[in-house]
Parts: sequence; structure tokens; C-alpha cells
Amino acid sequence: MAILDKPVVTVTQTPLRPPVKKGNKVVGWMTSTDHKVIGNLYMVTSFAFFAVAGLMALVIRAELARPGLQFVSNEQYNQLFTMHGTLMLFLFATSLFAGFANAIMPLQIGSPDVAFPRLNMVSYWLYLFGGIVVMLGFLTPGGAAGFGWFAYAPLSNVINSPNVGSDLWILGLTMSGMASILGAVNFITTIFTMRAPGMTMFRMPIFTWNILLTSVLVLMAFPVLAAAMLMLEADRKFGATVFDAANGGAILWQHLFWFFGHPEVYILALPFFGIATEILPVFSRKPIFGYKGLVFATISIAGLSVAVWAHHMYVTGAVNLPFFSFMTMLIAVPTGVKFFNWIGTMWGGSVSFETPMLWTIGFLTTFLFGGLTGIILAAPPLDFHVSDSYFVVAHFHYVVFGTVVFAMFAGFYFWWPKFTGKMLDERLGKLHFWLVFFGFHITFLVQHWLGVEGMPRRYADYLGSDGFTTLNMISTVGSIVLGASTFVFFWNIYKTNKYAPMVNCDDPWGWGASLEWATSCPPPRHNFVEIPRIRSERPAFDLHHPEVAAMEQADRDRAFENAANGSKG
Amino acid sequence: MIIGGKLFAAGTFLYFGIGIVYWFMSGDVIGTSLLALTGGLAFLVAFYALFTSKRVGALPEDNEYALISDADTDYGFFSPHSWWPFAIGAATFVFILGFVFARWMMVLGLFALMMAIYGLVFEYYRGEFVK
Repeated sequence: MAILDKPVVTVTQTPLRPPVKKGNKVVGWMTSTDHKVIGNLYMVTSFAFFAVAGLMALVIRAELARPGLQFVSNEQYNQLFTMHGTLMLFLFATSLFAGFANAIMPLQIGSPDVAFPRLNMVSYWLYLFGGIVVMLGFLTPGGAAGFGWFAYAPLSNVINSPNVGSDLWILGLTMSGMASILGAVNFITTIFTMRAPGMTMFRMPIFTWNILLTSVLVLMAFPVLAAAMLMLEADRKFGATVFDAANGGAILWQHLFWFFGHPEVYILALPFFGIATEILPVFSRKPIFGYKGLVFATISIAGLSVAVWAHHMYVTGAVNLPFFSFMTMLIAVPTGVKFFNWIGTMWGGSVSFETPMLWTIGFLTTFLFGGLTGIILAAPPLDFHVSDSYFVVAHFHYVVFGTVVFAMFAGFYFWWPKFTGKMLDERLGKLHFWLVFFGFHITFLVQHWLGVEGMPRRYADYLGSDGFTTLNMISTVGSIVLGASTFVFFWNIYKTNKYAPMVNCDDPWGWGASLEWATSCPPPRHNFVEIPRIRSERPAFDLHHPEVAAMEQADRDRAFENAANGSKG
Repeated sequence: MIIGGKLFAAGTFLYFGIGIVYWFMSGDVIGTSLLALTGGLAFLVAFYALFTSKRVGALPEDNEYALISDADTDYGFFSPHSWWPFAIGAATFVFILGFVFARWMMVLGLFALMMAIYGLVFEYYRGEFVK
């Protein structure tokens, strides 16, 4: 009876309902009003845009590896870097914020869904169709938009960019901008009105706080962008002269664009700061160091970020340098406070290096570099020297890749059980991390020196005698490593999906703090079968480690008694 | 809601304040108008949130000692699923493409968009939902 010697596989979860047909599944996704499904759709879609934009970056790097034009024409190169920037900023990072916010935020505040579930799905469809409109430019005879992701005014008018791809770019981004605005309204309303009883504003997880402040920034910034975009389209289609260079339109466009563009940088950064802040305490086995300090630092970043826009315009000579330089330096202070708190959270903790923690530390390192070069660029005399050079390219890739991509993967590895009910493979995750880390730093660290040596951004070509060849070669090799790392991630997803067991506890990491760890993996349709009583910033931790909660309560009682006795004596 | 309202109120003061300083430092019309409008936007939200929070009174989510059972039992209605968001997205897509490529398509898209918005808004006020 050899057959009995084999381990008996028992199916632990018998399906209660007949298996769902594939078509029904797709219809289920298309018509869903469940914030978790919409969050997943957002994340999958934005990751697809990330992959496409990454491929464009690889073509750009391949072209720049050696002097001379090998793969693409000048025109195609313009389209590539424009669409790379556009896809990464508007269609990947901004909507990834919406993805994480949808998937996690309602869980963290103990809410059954977002405030306007159907509006949530409207946002998603506007985003997806808007993205398709932008991408359709590649199928038109004139090609996609090629005026750089910030579409400076005389270049983006109908004489200099007559291709229809530019119109598609403008209107597609207006559509996806509308999606962001509707999403922000949804998140703000949810956080204001749908918290569970006892979840006061100052007990909300930092991630939720950051989603709130990001949404506020979206409300401030995106309407300005939408207005500017529609005026530009009016210029192009109906012959309006709003951005006519003859009456100061060039500077007007720059002001409007960057009044959106700088808050946009914080729209990209804040949610991912939030993800890092959620992960650090879990793997340091300590509560967040200076919770209120972090909240107020985030509030001040959000407040100040609308007053620094023209530091992108130093070299126009048409802006007030002292004001913007001072404000830009000032905004570094709350960011420094955040770093202080993050390090304080790890300090003296029992730190362990699971994959999410590894990514978070990768984020801290990379973003710190970006922040430091940011201080350099905030000083006008230094900025004049390196503006529009590869130094700036290196700076913003350190900032944006450091926050968005590192923290995105941190969030993926951390919350994968909440998204899918399975844990991603740790070993592949670590391999993935080191490939991305080295790939990224090899690609972009050398670009600082390229910029200082004078290589300008957005040029398709350079001369052998410029002396840029070696560093460009190193950068390209790094970008190949970086691109290859994505396969490890895809393999990890496939392997996890196919072989990993289902997580059968609420908190697989063991030290989860916020409410999403107090419900099953993945959570049921309206999120909670029961919600624990909320008495601190860490309701799920209090639930799973009642002995610690009791100890903390005893400490508080003792402090209270001492204070009472002290006042008597 | 009251803390949220105060957050926007602080934003109102901050943006108007920065706007005034910026005007005197730079004399730039564009930036000053943008800051003033941003302050105005913050004021709208602050006013609405503070006014509403005063009207609805104390809420269990702002009470540190609230129990989960303190939540309103009539929590509200959540749409189980809906085709209308997709309809709005697709109609906007047709409208935008029509705007760029062909007028007839734009008219078609606009009509479809209006119907889709009507469908979304009145989804639960028609047919079997009419009382």
C-alpha cells in the first residue's frame, strides 16, 4: 500500500460556493465598489505603467551608453524621456498613492469602505482611460508628446509641437488629474467621517495621517494643473493666447505648472513616508518614537510645500530668490524631524531584517542622499551651476525612486498578506532588494558627477571628447541590473501565488500595530467581523499582546497615582 | 471632523499669511493670486467642516473612551457593485477622443457621459428602489 505512505494532503478550505467563472471574475473587478478590489486594480495598473516607463528608461540608457545615435532618433528620444517622466509621475506614482490609500486606509481607521464607493471606481476608470489616452499618442503619426513632462509654454504650443499626441497628452492628464481630485475628496471624507469609535485623529496610524495630508495637497495642486492644461489646450485648439510668449505666457505657464508640480513631489513622497513609518515600529518591536512630532512634521511639510514652487525656476531670473531659497531650506527641517523620528524608532529596538524592513532601510538611505542634494539645489548659486544637468536628474531620481519605489516594495512585501492572503517569499525578496539597491545606486550615483562635469539633461547624444563615456557606461550597466530585478519580483509573485500557503492568522508579522492587523488576511467584504476596542495608537498590538498593554496601563496608573500623591504631599 | 476643520483653518491662515509676505517680497501677481486662491479653498473646507461638526455635535470617533458599540447602528448604504463608474470612464474616453479627432464622436461622447452621470446619480432612486 505504497499509496498510503505518501503524506495525505488535506484540503483545509473547502469552497463554500461553486468556483467562480473567469468572465464573472472580470465583471466583478470591472463593477466593483469594494475599496480593496479597487486598491488592487490601482496597484496593478500603476505597476504596469511603471514597467512600461521602466522599459522606456532602459531604451534611454541604452542610447546614452556610447556617444553617437544608435537606437533612436532625436525625436523619438524626446518622446521617450517625456513619456518616461509622465508615466512615472502621473500614471505610476500618483495613482500608486491612490492604490495604497484604497487598500489600507479604510482598514486602518476601522471603516467598512470609503465614503463614496462608486465615486472611488469612477476615479479608477478616469485614471485608466486617461492613461490610455496619454499612451495613444504613440499610435499617432506625429508620435507621442515630446516637450518634456513639464511642457514648457512656447515649446508646447501648436506651432512647435503640432502633433496630435500632444493634445492627447494634455487631455489624458487632465482626465487622470480629475481622477486624483475625486480620489482625494473621497479619502478626506472617509478620514473625517468614518473612523471607528475611539479612533480619534491623534490615534490614527501615521500612514492614514499622511494619506489625509496628501489628499489635502492633491486638492490644492491638481485643480491648478487641470486649469493650466485646459488653457493650454484652448491655446492649441481655439487659438487663445494665454501662454503666448509675447505677453509673458512662458513664465505664467512655469508658475502654474510648478505651483502644481512642487506639491506633486510631496504628493508622491508623503504616502510612502507613511508606509515606512508603519513598517519601522513593527520590525523594531517599539512604538513609533514621537508620534505627535511626526504628525506635526507632516502637517508642516504639507503646509510649506505650496510655497516653494519657484525653486524650479531659479534660472529664469524672474523669481524672488531669497523667498524661495528660504522656504526651500525651511521645508528641509520637518523632513529632518521625520528622519530623527525614524531613527529614534529603531534606536534601542530589537531590530530584525525581514524584507519589508530591508526595503524601508533602503528607502531611508536613498532618500537621505536625495534630500542632501536637494539642499544643494535649494541654494541659488549652486543651482545656477547644475540646473538642467544630470545632477538634477540624479537628485530627483534619488528622491522619487528612493521614496516611491523602495517604499512601494516595502509596502508590497509588508501588506501582501492583506492584499492576497499569502506571504511573499523572503529569500527572493531579499535578492530582489539587493538587485534594486545596487542597480539603482550604480545607475544614479555616477550621474551626480556627470552633471557636475556639465552633461545636460534631455540630450540624446554627446561627444566622445566630452569625457562622459565611462560614467554613462557605468550608469547603463546599473540600469540593466535594475531592470532585471523586476523579473525576480514577478517570479516571486508567481511562486507565492502558486506555492505559498494561505496565511491563517490576522497578524503574520507578529507585531503589527494598526487595525488592518486585527482582521483576517485578506479581510472580508466590509473589512471587519469585529473591531477591537481602540484605546491607543496601536489597537491591534493591544489586542494581540494584552500583557504589554496591561503593563503600559499599569505604568500610566502608577504615574497618575504618583502625581496625585505628589500633589497631596 | 473638528480637528480636520481646524487643520484647514490653519491652512487658510498660513496660505493668506504666506501670500501677503510673498506679495511684499516679490510683487509677483501670479504667485500671489495662486496663494490667495489656495487660502480661499482651504477656507471653504474649513468653514464647511467646522460648521458641520458644530451642528452634528460630539461623535464617538472623537471620544477617547468610546466603545465600538457606540457607533451609529444605521451606518449607511454601500452600493454592492455598479456598472455606472465604468460607463462614466468609457464615455469620457469617447468624449476626449472625439474632442481631439472628430466632432461627431465628441457629441456622442458628451451625450453618453451625461447619461452615465445621470445613471450613477439616480442608480438607487429608480426602478425597484422607488418607494
